[in-house]
Amino acid sequence: MSDSKGKASQKVTLASNDGSHIEVDRVVAERSMLIKNLIEDLGDDAIATAPIPIPNVNDPVLRKVVEWCDHHRGDSLQSNEEENDNRKKTTDIEEWDQKFMQVDQEMLFEIILAANFLDIKALLDVGCKTVANMIKGKSPEEIRKTFNITNDFTPEEEEQIRRENEWAEDR
Amino acid sequence: LADLLNLCTSQQLSFVHQFVSPLLKKDPFTSLPDELCLRILSFIDDPKVLARASQVSRRWRDLLSDDMTWKNLCVKHDYQRRLSEVHPSMQLLPVIRPEIFPISHQDGAPTSHSYPGAIPQLPSITPGSLSLDGSSSAITTSRPRVKSYKSHFKQRYLVDAAWRTGGHNITRNITQDGGVVTSLHLTSKYIIVALDNAKIHVFDTEGNAQRTLQGHVMGVWAMVPWEDILVSGGCDRDVRVWDLKTGACLHTLRGHTSTVRCLKMSDANTAISGSRDTTLRVWDIRTGLCKNVLVGHQASVRCLEIKGDIVVSGSYDTTAKVWSISEGRCLHTLQGHYSQIYAIAFDGYRVATGSLDTSVRIWNAATGECQAVLQGHTSLVGQLQMRGGTLVTGGSDGSVRVWSLERFCPIHRLAAHDNSVTSLQFDDTRVVSGGSDGRVKVWDLKTGHLVRELITQGEAVWRVAFEEEKCVAMALKNSRTVMEVWSFSPPDEVLY
Repeated sequence: MSDSKGKASQKVTLASNDGSHIEVDRVVAERSMLIKNLIEDLGDDAIATAPIPIPNVNDPVLRKVVEWCDHHRGDSLQSNEEENDNRKKTTDIEEWDQKFMQVDQEMLFEIILAANFLDIKALLDVGCKTVANMIKGKSPEEIRKTFNITNDFTPEEEEQIRRENEWAEDR
Repeated sequence: LADLLNLCTSQQLSFVHQFVSPLLKKDPFTSLPDELCLRILSFIDDPKVLARASQVSRRWRDLLSDDMTWKNLCVKHDYQRRLSEVHPSMQLLPVIRPEIFPISHQDGAPTSHSYPGAIPQLPSITPGSLSLDGSSSAITTSRPRVKSYKSHFKQRYLVDAAWRTGGHNITRNITQDGGVVTSLHLTSKYIIVALDNAKIHVFDTEGNAQRTLQGHVMGVWAMVPWEDILVSGGCDRDVRVWDLKTGACLHTLRGHTSTVRCLKMSDANTAISGSRDTTLRVWDIRTGLCKNVLVGHQASVRCLEIKGDIVVSGSYDTTAKVWSISEGRCLHTLQGHYSQIYAIAFDGYRVATGSLDTSVRIWNAATGECQAVLQGHTSLVGQLQMRGGTLVTGGSDGSVRVWSLERFCPIHRLAAHDNSVTSLQFDDTRVVSGGSDGRVKVWDLKTGHLVRELITQGEAVWRVAFEEEKCVAMALKNSRTVMEVWSFSPPDEVLY
C-alpha cells in the first residue's frame, strides 16, 4: 500500500453542474461511494489531470456537502449492522450535524438529493432524520404550516381519514 | 437587496418576513422522490405521528398508505414475526396437526374395540367430524387473515396498548371454599383448571363454564391438553384420558403406585407421566396401553419435558435424566444439583433445571454435560421457561430473573413478588408472573420494567397463563378460588 500515505494528501477536483470547481482532499471526496468507485474505475492518473463532474449538484449544495464530508472525514464507514442500529435511534443527531442542517428547506432537500445521488449514507440519514424531526409532534395543520402545504382534502375526506386514524391517538 | 432591506423599518421587515417565509417552505414529499420520502418516514416509529401525517394532504396520505412504511414499523415494534409465522406457541398450546388424526384413527380403529370404554366415544372421534370441527372452530376463533402491514400493525398496536392500560375482564367463582389450583391450561379452544379437590373444570376461552370432569378420587396434580383430549393424573395414581367435547373419560390408565406429579404429551397418541413412585410411564392414550416404564430415578419424579423422541425428567433424587422414548432407555443422567429438582425446561438441545439448592443449571442434552450454573436466586427455583436464547426463572424468593442463554448471564432481576413466584410465563414481548402475595404482574421482557398489575389483589395467585390477546389467572380471594379472564382483543369494528 505504497499509495496510502500519498492518498491522504492527494487532492481531487469536483465540478458542479453549474461549472464551478471545488478542490478537496481525496479522502474527503471518498465519503461519497459514488466518487470513490469512480476514482477506482478511472485510476489515479485520470483524476489528477481532470475534474470529476458531478452532474446533478450545483455549487452551493456541493460546497455544503463537501463541508459535511470534511468534518466527518475521520468517521469510520458504518457496517450494515451499525447502520440498522442507528436507524432505530431515530431522533439522535449529533450537535454539529444539527447546526449544519439549519438551512432553508430548499437547501435541506437539495442536500438530501445530493447525498442520495453521491451515495453518502450517513449524510442522507442525517438529512432524512432532520425532516422526520420536523414532522414529529405536530398536528396535521402544524405540519401543513411547517412546509407550506395546501390541504387538498374535501371536508368529507378529511373527516373520513381522521376517523381512520383515530386508533393511533393517545388512549 | 441588502441595502434595500437595511432601509426598512421593523414593521416593513416583519411584512417581508411574513411574505418571504412561506416561500422558503417546501413540501418535502413533493420535492423528493418517493424512495427518499419513504426513507424519511422510516425514521418515524410512533404510529401517532404517521397517522397525523397521513391527514396532511392527498400526497401525504398516499405516501403513508405505502405498506413498506408499516412493514418497517412492524419490524421496529417486533410485530414482524407474528405476521410471517404461526409462532411455536407455549407448551400450553399444542401445535395443531390435523393430519395426525386420520392416520391414528386408521391405526386405532381395530384395536380400540378391545377397550369397551372407548367404543361409545368412537362416533365423536371419526376423522370426518374431527376435521369438520377443527376447521369450523378455526374460522370462528381466529379473525380473518389480516391483509396489509398497516392493518397488521394496527391490530398488534391496539393489542399492545390494551395490555398496557386497557383490556376487559370477567371473574368467575370456581369453588366456594379455598381449593388449590394445581394446573391451568389456556388453549385456542379451552381454559382448563385442575384442583386438589379432584375436579377438573373446563371453560370456553371466554370463561363460560362448559363441563366438570369428575372421576379422580383425590387431588389432580398434573394435566395436559391436546386438541380436544385431556390427560390428567393425581394422588389416586391413575392417569385419565378425557374427551373435552363430551366430558367423557376415555381411559383410566393404571400402573403408577404413587401420586402422578407431572404429565406431558409428545404427540396426539402419546402421554408420559412422572410419579412419586420414581418412574415415568409412556402411554398410548389411544389404546390405553402402557408402552414403557422408564426406571432409574431414586426418588419422586417432579417435572418433565418432551421434545421429539426425547423426554427429560427432573427428580427429588437431585438428578435429571434424558431418555429416549422409542428405546425406553436413559441416555444421560444430569448430576450436579445438591438438592431436589423442581422445574425443568427443554428446547431439544439444552435442558434447564431449577432446584431447591437455589441454582439453575443448563445442560447439553446430547452430551449430558453441565454448560452453566446460574446463581442468583436465594431460594427454591420452582418456575422455568425457555424460549429462543432466553430463560426466565421464578423462585420462592419472590424474584423473577431473565437470563441470556447465549452468554449464560442475567439480563434482568425483577423484584416481582413479596413471597414466592407461583407461576410465570413469557413470550417475545412480556413476562407474566403470579405470586403468593396475590398479585399478577406484567413485565416488559426487553426492558424489565413493570408494565402493569392485572388483577385486583387477592390472598394468593395459584396460576397464570396467557396468549397474545388473553390472560387467565387463578387466585384465592376472600377465601374463594376465583378465575379472572382478561381479553386484550380490539373490538372488530375498530379493526375493519
